[in-house]
This record gives sequence, C-alpha cells and structure tokens, in this order.
Amino acid sequence: MILSLVFFTFSFAFYLITALLYTGFWIFKKKWLGQTATAMAFVALMSTTMVLVTRAGESGHAPFSNLYESMVLFIWATNAGYLLMEFKHKFKAIGAIVMILEFLAMLSASLLPYRFKSVEPLNPALQNKWHWMMDMLSPMGLQNYAIGWLDFHVFTTFVGYAGFAIAFGLSILFIIKERSELRSGSGFMNALPGADIIDELSYRAIAWGFPFLSVGIVSGAVWANYAWGSYWSWDPKETWSLITWFIYAAYLHARVTRGWRGRRAAYLSIAGFLAVIFLYWGVSFILPGLHAYA
Amino acid sequence: MPEIKEVARAADERKPWYKNKLWYLFNSLKLTLAVLITLAVVSIIGTVVEQNLPIEEYLTKYGEKWAKAILFFRLNDMYHSYWFLALLGMLALNIIVCTFERFPPKWKSLLNHKPERFDAKLIERFSNHQTITLNGNSDAVKEKLLNALKKKKYGIVESGTKGDYHFYAWKGRMGRLGSDVVHISLLLILLGAIIGSFAGYKDFRAVFVNGTMEVPDAEFKLRLDKFWIDYYDSGQIRQYNSVLTVIEGGKEVLSKQIWVNEPLYYKGIRFYQSSYGQAWNRVEEAYIAIKRKGSDGVETPVPVKWDTVQQLPNSRYSVKLVGYAADFAYDEKTNQVFSKSAEANNPAVRLEVYDGDKIVATPWLFMNYPGIFPAIPGADEDLVLTNYRPTMYSGLSINKDPGTNVVWAGTIVMGIGFILAFFVYHRRLWMHIRDTGRSTELKIGGMINKNTLVFEKELKEIIESIKAD
Repeated sequence: MILSLVFFTFSFAFYLITALLYTGFWIFKKKWLGQTATAMAFVALMSTTMVLVTRAGESGHAPFSNLYESMVLFIWATNAGYLLMEFKHKFKAIGAIVMILEFLAMLSASLLPYRFKSVEPLNPALQNKWHWMMDMLSPMGLQNYAIGWLDFHVFTTFVGYAGFAIAFGLSILFIIKERSELRSGSGFMNALPGADIIDELSYRAIAWGFPFLSVGIVSGAVWANYAWGSYWSWDPKETWSLITWFIYAAYLHARVTRGWRGRRAAYLSIAGFLAVIFLYWGVSFILPGLHAYA
Repeated sequence: MPEIKEVARAADERKPWYKNKLWYLFNSLKLTLAVLITLAVVSIIGTVVEQNLPIEEYLTKYGEKWAKAILFFRLNDMYHSYWFLALLGMLALNIIVCTFERFPPKWKSLLNHKPERFDAKLIERFSNHQTITLNGNSDAVKEKLLNALKKKKYGIVESGTKGDYHFYAWKGRMGRLGSDVVHISLLLILLGAIIGSFAGYKDFRAVFVNGTMEVPDAEFKLRLDKFWIDYYDSGQIRQYNSVLTVIEGGKEVLSKQIWVNEPLYYKGIRFYQSSYGQAWNRVEEAYIAIKRKGSDGVETPVPVKWDTVQQLPNSRYSVKLVGYAADFAYDEKTNQVFSKSAEANNPAVRLEVYDGDKIVATPWLFMNYPGIFPAIPGADEDLVLTNYRPTMYSGLSINKDPGTNVVWAGTIVMGIGFILAFFVYHRRLWMHIRDTGRSTELKIGGMINKNTLVFEKELKEIIESIKAD
C-alpha cells in the first residue's frame, strides 16, 4: 500500500507540473518550455508505470480490479498514447489540453472514497487465467504470473478510453481553433496546428480507440460467456459500452459523409467521450449491474 | 442529344427490379448515421428503466400511468422488443445494401490498374503533388524513382517511351476492403445472435451433493460429487467449486471440477457455477444424544447418517434418519410437514426409532426445542437433536447456444477488418518523367484514403531519396 501511494503522490505532482509546462509552452511559445514539458510527461509516465507495478506487487494481481486502479491505468494509457502521438507528429501545443485532462483524472482518482481504493483480493468472478499461459509458465514456476481475460479485457478497454480522451481534447481544441481561424484569430491560437490537422489527429486517436474498445467489448463477451454463462446480457455496463460504440461508429461514418466533417464530427467525438465518462463512472455509481465492482 | 437520351434509357432498362427508392434509401450513409444515433439514444432507456422486473414492481415504482406506457412500449424488456429489433434489422439491411452497392465496383477498381498513359496535368490536381527538376537523364531518374518506390514496397506499372515515362504505383489496397470486412463481421455476429435465440436455451438447476440432475434436451445426466468454498486468509470468499460427473447411457463419461470462470462443456451445453446453498429437506447427518429420565444432562451424541440405521450406545433402540425441515411448519389440512423457507430458522429431523426390527416411534426432533415432545412414548430414554451437518446444493446455470461459434467467427473477422480499415492505408501515386533536354522533370502526385499526415511524410521521403545522390 505504502510504496504505490508514494508513487501516486509523485505522479500527482508530475501531472500538475506537466500540464503547467505544456500550457506555458502554448502561451509563451518558448522552445525550452516545450522540451521540458515533453521530458516531464515522460517522467510522469514512468512514475505512473511504477504506481501500477508496485500496486500489482502489493495486491498480488494485475492492478485492474477496482475504480482507483483502473483510473491509474487510464491515466497511464492516455499519457503513453499522447507521447506516441507527439513523437510521431511533433505537435506539442496540443499537449496542454491532454495533460490538463490527465491532471483532472489524477485529481478525481485521489478523491475517490477509500472503499474504491483499498487493496482487495479478487472475488470469484474476477479470477480468470488463461490455461495455455499457465501451462506454459508452470515449468518455470511462474504460473501465478499468467494473465487472463480480466487483464486483457480491462487493458484493451482502457487503451480505447485513452484514445477517446485524447480525441475529446483535440475536438475541443478543434472547435476553439476553427472559431479563431474564422475570425482570423489571435496570436494565442497560432501555436496550435491548423484546424484541419487537429481534425485529422482527432480522427487518428479515434481510429486507435475504436478498434481497442471493440476488442475490449468482444473480450468482455468471451469472458462473460465463460464466467456468467452468456456472452451478452444487456447489463448496464455492456449496454453503455454499446452506446459508446454506436456513437463512435457514427463518428467514423460521419467523416466519410460530406457536410459532417469538421465541426459536426467534433461534436460527435465530444458526445462520445461524455458517453465514455458515463460508461466508466456513471454506470459504476448509479446503475446497478454485474460490473458493480469497477 | 437524342443519343444521350437513348443511352440513359438503356441504362434505366438495365437496372435490376430491386433498385427502387427503398433500395437507395438503404444505400444512404445518412440513414446509417440516423440509425446509429437513434440506437445510441434509445439504448439509454433500457439502462434507466430496470429490465425484466415483475409487472407489480413497475406499478409500485412508476405508478399506473407510466407503468402502462412502459408495458405498451415493452420498455421492461426493451432489447428484445420488436421496435428495437427492427432498428437493428434496419442497420443490418443498411449494411447489406451498402455492401452490394459499393463492394463490386471497389473490387474491380482495386484489381484494375490503368497502365495506359494518363494526362500528366492531372497530377497537379492532387492536393499532394510536386514537380521537381533533376539533373541527369530520364533513365537515371526513372531508375532512382523505381528504387525509391520498391523500397517503400509499392506495386508499380509503367508505360511510355524513352524520355516520356508514365508510372502508377500503389500500396495497401487491402485497406480499402477493411470497412466491408467489418460490416460482414457485424452481420455474422447478428446471425450468431439469431441462431442462439432460436436454437438455444438457458436454464438453472440446483443439485444436491451426490444427487443427479436431468439435462434438458440432452441424452446425458449430471451428478454433483462435491461442493466446497475456498477462502482467503482474510476470510473473504476466494472461489466456489463443484465436481461434476457426466453420466451417459449408465456409464460415467467424464468428471470435472468447475468454478466461477471455469464451466463444464459437454456436447454443446455449458454448465456454470452460479450459486450454492443448504438443502431445506435433507441433511448429510444429524447428531443424536440420549437423555435418560432422572438425569439432567445428555449423553455424548452419535452421528446418524441420512437414510441409514444407527444403533444408539447403551440402549436397546436404533434410529434411522428419514426427514429434515430447515424451517419446520405443519399443514393441518393436509397433515403434512414442510419447510416454510430455505433458511434454517427452525431445523428439525425426523427419525424412525427401532426396537430390534420393530418400529416403535417416528418422532420429529427440534434442535431449538429439545424434549418438547417425548421421542419414544412410554420409554425411559428421550432423544435430543444436538447438531447436524447440512447437505449443500450447487446452483448450476445451463446454457446451450449453438450461435456462439458464429459470433466468435464474426469477432475474428471483425479484428481482421479493423486492422485493414484503420492500419492499412491505400496509397496511390501517379508520376510522369519528362526529358526537357538539359534536365529531367518529375511530376509526382497522389492520394491516400486516410491519414494524410502519413502520406505527406512518405511523399517527402520519396522525393528526398530521389534528390539525394
């Protein structure tokens, strides 16, 4: 409990600093601020990785089994996804909005009531390991480290959420940037890449998020078929994941339809992420169902 | 002008019968958007209105007016209501029509590269294009260009003669088919769900330890050999386990330990650990003690197994355990004993008491009320129930779903489709090399079906590698 909490506290500070640095870079356009921001984002990623690793050590299972642990996973995946994007496309100013989101996520994870944070052993329904992997690892005595549908399902789903979170940030930026372009805008917005590029990047983020969410839903179905006896039971979590899937499917189709690119697509992306937030937090707190534990 | 009309009419006549307005409605992407957004919005209702409750609960929760509306629109079982299924059906039709309309021409155009000469001016129409002038003769430039394209794994066709070459290059054609593959996978998943809902069933059975159960729609039986619970050191439940044996044609075919997350699968039917409990009408054994007249305490109790005769120590009597009620109740009308609930609120066992071979009494002994009725009329000895070991039952969910494999096939196809659709980009390049005498001019331009950022980068790399020496 102690070590992971230490890393969590550090990460909290790191994300705050990273968000401030990126915002500073956006406003002042100083190169060194941008470089420091990227370095700091990387430090924050390492620190978040350590939260997950130490937490796994403390609980004896992969850190994917309650709201707090999954929040850290979400923050980790969003950061990793953002850094990959920055590495590939070299646009730094958009980091500000992603890192502000990261900091807000960190804040909400730290404010969770204790019962969502405590280290718990896995309940019967969550214990799933792949036999083939256990068989493979058991000659080395490592069978306890085998992973299963729980790990796969949660991991893929959260990579999907991370993609949507980045796309959400970019869609907000798109709307702001598009407006400033129409008014042949202020200098403040010039640090951002053009609206069409932001639109494209936002699409790229969803193009990653959507297949991962789909794999997450499908792996959940495979697992549910194993644990609950049915691959689909219209449990609120399942239904909301499908709602989210419908919205992003609409987004992808909107992009190939004339007149739905740009602004409207950005609104769909924002609606999609609001659905993700409800799917993730809303369902867990408000709607009762089989996914009650996370 | 009359010729054109002629052609148009001919084209009209060649249209197959089904290509009417309805067909074109289902061919529209706007309909797709409308259906997807509608599905997303109405699906919310089913998560807010709790599904499949007894009707009375809707009445108490929402009042008569709203409950009526809920039942009228089938919001109590929304995801199986006809209107929701109709929406899904519309989506399916939409997918089918779009695939029929778009796939064949796409397939043809992907296979057919036009190697014949094209108008070089067209290259400049692409948003990504460049014209560069290079030293060296046209053959040297051609060599470099082909090398650069081959390095990037492009397929190439060329035409033209010396000093005036035309090239067309392409990569990632399969990416174009990704969306079709995903669409077909969705149809497969829907098909699997339909098969499952017609040819499958779901059921639940409670089986006692050492008891057997009939499996609906199957030629075999199941026996529960064992049930137990594993605990963590902290006392939290770790796992529920059952050992099941399949009995087919009177023979034991196979035995398997199941737990939550590990079902038994036999001949298309799955058996899941889904609950457990204590039987309300039988026990494994009861502890019976003798209380002699005149003494205050009871003697050491002896365990009596279910349905077996047990000699009591230092006594002429033997007893047989024949009945149990967890929550004893007596129906005066029918003269029958039953259990009011499954909870052990008032546990009682029934014994047959033998004096030699002769039954002398068949008393009920109450654990909470020892000695309330004398066990054996007129005897010096009374019998007391001190404890019992309950018979556990294991609750098994039974599921037969022959559509599952179709659904899984659909998900695999979907995975392939996603990889094609999102991570394989169809890039096409048109190039023209022209010898201008002293130098060589290269026009290059083209397009990608998505991810223009990647394409810009790649075009830049190709041009740089041609410029470099």
